[in-house]
Amino acid sequence: MEEFIRGFVGDVTRVMSALPVQEIARAINVIQAVYERDGRIYIFGNGGSLALATHWVSDFNKTVFSHNLESHTRRFQAIRLPSTEEELSAWANDVGYEMVFAGPLQNYLQETDGVIAISSSGNSQNIVKAVELAKRRNVPVIGLSGFDGGKLNELADVKIVVQTEKGKYEIVEGIHAVILHLITKYFQDYFDHQLARRTAGA
Amino acid sequence: MPKRLAGSYRRAEGPSTAPARFRQGPRTGDRRGAPVDWDKLSLMILVRAPLRISFVGGGTDLPEFYRKHPGRVISVTIDKYVYVLVNPTPLVDKFTIKYQRTEIVDHPKDLEHTRLRAALLDLGMVQSGLEVGSFADLPAKTGLGSSSSFSVALLRGLHAYRGRSLSNRDLAEEASRLEIDLVQEPIGKQDQYAAAFGGFNVFQFNAHGPVDVSPVLLDYRKRSALEEHLLLFFTGITRPAASVLTEQRSRVEEHFETYVAMAESVGEFARRVLEGDIRGMAHMLHEGWLRKRSLASSVSSSVLDGLYEAGLSAGAWGGKILGAGGGGCLLLLAPPSAQAAVRRALEGRAAQERLAGFKEIGVRTVQSGTDLVYRDQQPPVY
Repeated sequence: MEEFIRGFVGDVTRVMSALPVQEIARAINVIQAVYERDGRIYIFGNGGSLALATHWVSDFNKTVFSHNLESHTRRFQAIRLPSTEEELSAWANDVGYEMVFAGPLQNYLQETDGVIAISSSGNSQNIVKAVELAKRRNVPVIGLSGFDGGKLNELADVKIVVQTEKGKYEIVEGIHAVILHLITKYFQDYFDHQLARRTAGA
Repeated sequence: MPKRLAGSYRRAEGPSTAPARFRQGPRTGDRRGAPVDWDKLSLMILVRAPLRISFVGGGTDLPEFYRKHPGRVISVTIDKYVYVLVNPTPLVDKFTIKYQRTEIVDHPKDLEHTRLRAALLDLGMVQSGLEVGSFADLPAKTGLGSSSSFSVALLRGLHAYRGRSLSNRDLAEEASRLEIDLVQEPIGKQDQYAAAFGGFNVFQFNAHGPVDVSPVLLDYRKRSALEEHLLLFFTGITRPAASVLTEQRSRVEEHFETYVAMAESVGEFARRVLEGDIRGMAHMLHEGWLRKRSLASSVSSSVLDGLYEAGLSAGAWGGKILGAGGGGCLLLLAPPSAQAAVRRALEGRAAQERLAGFKEIGVRTVQSGTDLVYRDQQPPVY
């Protein structure tokens, strides 16, 4: 048992130490820019990746500002797509599963927005369709992918690929969660810092 | 000077896939009196472009230099903006252009505003019933790149009005082409790139091939430490960049080695930025400013030198006059403990020189580039 656990942790550690740090920094810059222009961030994925997207939205819209909810009236506008199960099933049933993200995204997307697409393989048709839509409108795309990055990594402006052998979903999804938490933590510290600066200046 | 206004170059534009109502561009209803079809109009668009502070390497973005040796510039965009508004006026069969003055003409060829005239003609936007206005947080000719920020904002707005979205790179290139090729301004490309991309960047200008854009990935701690050391003063003296740059451009060959040293220092400056070595940055700004002063007689003046010296004597670590020179803004890096003294010294000196417009400008750095911040309808599904 311990050997299994050590083996798994060892795999995760190896992959973690090879993360594309500069790309994660660029993702933070993209989100900073979206905040400055009061845009929205759309995030989506399939299965476990959709769960990651939902979790991140909750953290990002509230936890980031939780130390100073009152003083930051301008907050992030992060939205998981589709925002309701009804939309998901309607697009899948009526049009096709490949439109479950691009369909709702088309309703919302403006030039000031940003997109985070999560796909371990990077090749999910519905993810690629939504990313192509964002690219056509020159909306910046942060791609969180795994394995060899697939099509998502080719298309994304910010290419965060968690490189593993094909099929290591458990490692890729776990590390995607860490990266998303890192982004949340960065902005939480940033807004705490801003508040401290304002208080010191007052 | 010949104006190549009829340029057929349309690299940034593929065939538009926008629905017909977005392809129209400006459109008056019907001159024969038929009702205006409002559904076929593109509606109001507002674009915002940031100004920038250029630290090191300015001048190496001139083609006279970068065609022979890679030019490099490091700059950051700031929270002071130029706004361009594009609006259809279906009931007014004219081109109405509002900036420091208002021009109302039948055809863009009659406009006096050189860049607007060139842009509208080049894009073939000659059907009247269009209004373009520009607004800014700061006056022009402050050395903060505002004229190129205007061009970038204008092109983003005019293209959006016609249902086209451009990448930052295409936008920067289109704006450079407008200002340098079509209007024949004697300027480089750094400001168009800074405004289009936004943020802290190193730009490398190559003889062949695209401009390399490398973001300087700075965390919020270092960014705010830099902001806390940064003082920006408008000297109250304005001078169009062109008058300085025309002299500078004609003498690139003569000062070639100085330009090489300026371009080469950009990498070292970026390293100091990343290390948070503000004193080191200030030292390099000072060296760069001394180099730049030697490039053309009009870059500095005794008044500007006097202000800068006053700042240094009061405890600033280093700085420079921003932009092409001859006037505009003075940038200083100073430890917070010395800033009150620096302000006093500069205000005293400015009063002595009777610089009525002298004023401090508080700035923060920003990450976002030129944005379409408002449009009066859903974007087309292109």
